[in-house]
Amino acid sequence: MTNTIQGLPSFDPGEFQQKVSGTSTSSSDSSSGFWDTLKDTLNQVQHVQNEADQKVTDLVTGKGEDIHSAMAAVEKADLSFQLVMQVRNKIVQAYQQVSQIQF
Amino acid sequence: MNLFAMFDVSGSALTAERERAEVVASNMANADTTRTAKGGPYQRQEVVFGSTPVGGSTFAERLASAADGSVQGVQVVKVVGDPTAPIRRFDPSHPDADAQGYVSYPAINPVQEMVDLMGASRSYQLNVSAMQSTKQMIQQSLEILT
Repeated sequence: MTNTIQGLPSFDPGEFQQKVSGTSTSSSDSSSGFWDTLKDTLNQVQHVQNEADQKVTDLVTGKGEDIHSAMAAVEKADLSFQLVMQVRNKIVQAYQQVSQIQF
Repeated sequence: MNLFAMFDVSGSALTAERERAEVVASNMANADTTRTAKGGPYQRQEVVFGSTPVGGSTFAERLASAADGSVQGVQVVKVVGDPTAPIRRFDPSHPDADAQGYVSYPAINPVQEMVDLMGASRSYQLNVSAMQSTKQMIQQSLEILT
């Protein structure tokens, strides 16, 4: 990965994923590391949301016994989604800043 | 998602307090019950709380929580009967009266039960507040990025 902007440390997505998820990527597929991380995060958020959905369904169909556990699950899903949205906003912001570079 | 463990801790407390309130409600409802399936008057019930490891749906997360031991949730370990002797009231016309004309009523003091219910309600409130604080902490940390 060539560092076109001088003075900035080079960003290695594979290394980033290694730091984030704690798993070592043996294959040096550095082009998909970040997107894998993003996909994993999205899958996790999807899982949390499915859980919340299941809890609410259980509650309204009379299977669940605790209102608060359903509420907590919904809150967890909401917060996870907010986190993903913040990360997405930051990525879009970074992309827009790069796309506006003029020489 | 470690901050979510606080949700699980507070959630376990909410479940425990709900069960405590249920037991208190049962005591209040049966304050004048003179016959039960076991025979004899209703026996006043009390809950026993015990700490329990919380957090995570996977085995590894639960094991880590149990080994760590610093963050503990709460659960109702068991519901025990109050061994206090029943109150005997003289009422010969009652169908459950004994040979001397006395009826055994459960030893339940409605005032005590009401105080217990208020305690459960306040504890519930407390843990909901803790949950809301957790949520605010997470939201504030998300605002760092903006």
